[in-house]
Amino acid sequence: MLRVDGLRKSYGPVPALRGVGFSLERGRVTALLGENGAGKTTTVRIILGFLAPDAGRVERGTGRVGYVPDQPAFFPWLRGRAILDLTRRSAGAGRAEWEERVRDLSAALRFDAALLDRPPRTYSAGNVKKFAFLQSLALEPDLLVADEPFAALDPPSVKRARDLIIAARDRGAAVLLSSHMLAEMTRTSDDFVVLRRGVVAARSGLAEFLDRVRPASAGDVESAFLGLIQG
Amino acid sequence: MFEKDVFPLTARLAGLRLRTSGLVLGVASALPVFLVVLGVKESPGAASKAFLLFFPYLFLLASQDMSASEVRGGGLENVLFLDGRFRSYLWQKNFVLAAAGGAYACAVFLGLAAWGLGRGTFEAASVLQLGLGLLAGTYYVAVAGALGLVFRAGSNVVVLLLAQAAALIGLILSTTFRTGFVDHLAAGRFPDLGSRLLFAGLAAVFPNLIVARRLLRGGPVVLAGLVLALAVQRACLRRLELRR
Repeated sequence: MLRVDGLRKSYGPVPALRGVGFSLERGRVTALLGENGAGKTTTVRIILGFLAPDAGRVERGTGRVGYVPDQPAFFPWLRGRAILDLTRRSAGAGRAEWEERVRDLSAALRFDAALLDRPPRTYSAGNVKKFAFLQSLALEPDLLVADEPFAALDPPSVKRARDLIIAARDRGAAVLLSSHMLAEMTRTSDDFVVLRRGVVAARSGLAEFLDRVRPASAGDVESAFLGLIQG
Repeated sequence: MFEKDVFPLTARLAGLRLRTSGLVLGVASALPVFLVVLGVKESPGAASKAFLLFFPYLFLLASQDMSASEVRGGGLENVLFLDGRFRSYLWQKNFVLAAAGGAYACAVFLGLAAWGLGRGTFEAASVLQLGLGLLAGTYYVAVAGALGLVFRAGSNVVVLLLAQAAALIGLILSTTFRTGFVDHLAAGRFPDLGSRLLFAGLAAVFPNLIVARRLLRGGPVVLAGLVLALAVQRACLRRLELRR
């Protein structure tokens, strides 16, 4: 569904990516892990076309794309309902079918539909995140990309969002989750790509990943993971 | 880079923005009232002249938040603008705003023309003036768009207005120093290269000037400025990235 090859990107003299490559498959959730500044967000933004790479390429299969940013922001003068309507029109979806999806997703996320009559800038941080999930998942994406998908969500909402991500995967979507939250990623993801200072430090399936970060000695998984991402 | 399929989204978004802008709506609603009052107190011809001179500012008002606020505010980092579609959206906004301003201006002009025809005061030359006013308005959109890639919402318009204020002060000073340029301007004749260049510079800062019948020759200058501003925007947009 997606193949990233040899991505390089610098911000002025500072290299952010130094040859990142990996691929995503349909029906799998891939976690893109790494500490702050490892290059996760830059990678995500290049995949989505918000940034241009200095070198390397992104090959993406056809289909709809959903995107949940780390800190979603919307035009402050638009109400939630207008944003969803623009999204529906862009996707060419029928009104009745779309409204049904929005209703179902709102219920699944426990997102109060009355909020749609207000601009998202008036929502709480958690509701803004839920709205971003709502907008993207209503598209029934073939590729779902989420940057820090669980940031700003309370524990029950994290579980609901996780369930929806897994449902999207089971529907056949390729999912890329960028995060530094190890515990949540091991509950949600099938594959792992670990970035360290702009390069892929490790790439594996869940079992192999857990074996890799699980310490042979008495240390905990978190510490071993920190060792992996920090080198 | 500038995909056609983004156009319906651009048109819808720009239309929604104009409909939710109190300033644009207020000015667009107040202008016809002002023109009717002026037409009744003075003459329909006076109302028509005032309209033709000032309506390009409506384009400028509509262009107040062309780019920077949307780029920096994060609103473009959305599924609606993936794969560089944000560039198409920002580019196409020039044409949507110019078309919206043009439609409004033509509607008001038709009203004034009908009024003038009824009173027998309508002048056919005003159609040419309308055309040049539309050119000036489109130029405002393009320049505000180019400035909008650097300045935040409203600041791009303020920069243009400050430049106009500076130009006016310069004109006043030029009368003090008796350079004669104001006389050339009043006569609409620019005998030497210096005065022609000065007029070109003035028309670039204050494009409404070309609506005045004696200064119609400034049209090509504004047209050249429009092409240049669009070229600058296009070059900047090609390189634009969303790095909030």
